[in-house]
Amino acid sequence: MKALTANRLIDGDVVFWKAGHWVERFAEAQLWADDDPAATAAEDAGKGQPKVVVDAYLIDLVESEGLWAPLSYRERIRALGPSNHLHHGKQAEGGAVIEALQHAHGAARSTGRVNLIKRK
Amino acid sequence: MYQYDSIDKAMLADRSAEFRGQVARRLAGELNEDQFKPLRLMNGLYLQLHAYMLRVAIPYGSLNSTQLRKLAWIGRTYDKGYGHFTTRTNLQFHWIKLRDTPDILDALASVDMHAIQTSGNCIRNTTTDPYAGATAEEVDDPRVWAEAIRQWSTLHPEFSFLPRKFKIAITAAAKDRTAAKVHDIGLMLKRARDGALGFEVIVGGGMGRTPYVGPTIREFLPVNRLLSYLEAILRVYNRHGRRDNIYKARIKILVAALGKDEFARQVDAEWAKIGEDADLPDTELARIRGAFAATRFEVLPAQSEAFEVARAETPAFARFVRNNLKPHKKSGYGIVEISLKGIGDTPGDASSDQMDVVADLAQLYGQDDIRVTHEQNLVLPHVKLDDVPKVWAALAEAGIATPNINLVSDIIACPGLDYCALANARAISIAQHIAEKFRDPDRAENVGELKIKISGCINACGHHHVGHIGILGVDKKGEEFYQLTLGGSGAEDAAVGSALGPALPYDKVAEAVDTLVEVYLRQRQDGERFLDTFRRTGVAPFKEAVYADAH
Repeated sequence: MKALTANRLIDGDVVFWKAGHWVERFAEAQLWADDDPAATAAEDAGKGQPKVVVDAYLIDLVESEGLWAPLSYRERIRALGPSNHLHHGKQAEGGAVIEALQHAHGAARSTGRVNLIKRK
Repeated sequence: MYQYDSIDKAMLADRSAEFRGQVARRLAGELNEDQFKPLRLMNGLYLQLHAYMLRVAIPYGSLNSTQLRKLAWIGRTYDKGYGHFTTRTNLQFHWIKLRDTPDILDALASVDMHAIQTSGNCIRNTTTDPYAGATAEEVDDPRVWAEAIRQWSTLHPEFSFLPRKFKIAITAAAKDRTAAKVHDIGLMLKRARDGALGFEVIVGGGMGRTPYVGPTIREFLPVNRLLSYLEAILRVYNRHGRRDNIYKARIKILVAALGKDEFARQVDAEWAKIGEDADLPDTELARIRGAFAATRFEVLPAQSEAFEVARAETPAFARFVRNNLKPHKKSGYGIVEISLKGIGDTPGDASSDQMDVVADLAQLYGQDDIRVTHEQNLVLPHVKLDDVPKVWAALAEAGIATPNINLVSDIIACPGLDYCALANARAISIAQHIAEKFRDPDRAENVGELKIKISGCINACGHHHVGHIGILGVDKKGEEFYQLTLGGSGAEDAAVGSALGPALPYDKVAEAVDTLVEVYLRQRQDGERFLDTFRRTGVAPFKEAVYADAH
């Protein structure tokens, strides 16, 4: 599965794509099957909003506790917040999806990351 | 400390107004991200994992209480109530919104601060000894020269687009607290037998992907020729530095490729062309020096009764004195180091409330002078011994009296994968796990000086190459792993550490450090530091112990 993420231009907050607009919670993100062409179409649409977001890219997901979580540790930190301040970032809100993300295991590297480093 | 004049203030106001316009154009879509990114970086604004990060310049790590209170206020108003002090003696705010940034720059400008030269391929913040003006070890006040470099390098048109970033450190004491030998340029102030002051000039040190201890290209540069000689170095670098390959673009690669003698020859040739006109006029030097004149020291006895009574009666205070109080050049004064390395805390972080406490203490007891160290701690350089017990009590109440300066839990760590867009692995939590292992202060004191430095990627912001124990986060088959190095030093005995063995998984690092320390305690002789023992025994006993389970 895949989701589309970016940072919001005006405040840098991590956002996820949901049916044509951006939401702040990973729990609300739109998910696509790996081979669904709608994912890349959404990525193109996201990249077409340079006044709204910076660096839109697709991330890979992995199943955790029956829910979907970003595969890479980096993307889980983006979706949660920093591990040294558990009351900072999106994790402060708690909930089943947050817990699933906190318990997920996977790679440390994001699929979209190489391109991202060049941009940042 | 140095006071900004009307030209400095006008420049900061203009700069802030200019950035306000740039942000407005970006939000309106008149600038795209590729156009805007270099503009925001010139004002220290990065986009990281969770938000924008604003890196505020603290020239040569020197602050007054008004400035620190303003940083505290910014942290409270625009961030999450804290800031992170860096190895360049700057302060980073990690939760900044683009829309707030112009107002933050205005707030900084109101106290003569800014975020210029905290990013980009320019001459970055020059760092110096945090004990400057307070230690008897120095041959001159290095802040005078750091301030001269600040004025010369700020917005220098020729050196604003170098092949890569450029960092200068100055020490005026034989004991190097600046890591001068691993800088692009390290300047070591020395006094000749005839009393003349000069700089030993070290060029081409560095960390990152290719670490080098820099070679000396001039043993004694008369101090009044500093700026023309720096200009000559920068010109040779600007002309021949590798702009074609970001990994080979630092001056260390050029110096290594040419060899130090050829590099020095080219610098000398350029220097001869520049001549003395580029040097600082004596009148200007005198003006700058006047800003650092020490005039407020009282004549005090060497011993303070209040201090001695507190030390005798309060073991916790005595421990603080043993580890965090350093000798001052003036009788009856001390240098107080404030550790931002509380056990379990994030190295280098200070809350806004803690910043306010330090500002109050500086104003009440410390001649309104605060320093930031490259080891991510704070210093009150001028405190009367009579007042040290009161300062300690206030620090303890604020949770920043941890008595661990230079001990195993006084760890440098970069923000790592918890914040940084470049990181491969976390650094903060590794530091926290190690500190927890040495929570017992008696054990930590028994271990003695041990510098652990952690970077979350090869860029080495956490100075891992020069850690007595260095820890580098790597991405190994998609997981966080950590490469340990031993025997590095960023001090006057500078050395690049050598790899211990195969990288370790996240949950084995603190345990491995514990094992390394146990080996040291078994092997050490006659008051040796960890580093001394390692240099005597070599890596074998350490490697054997850490990887014993693997055999």
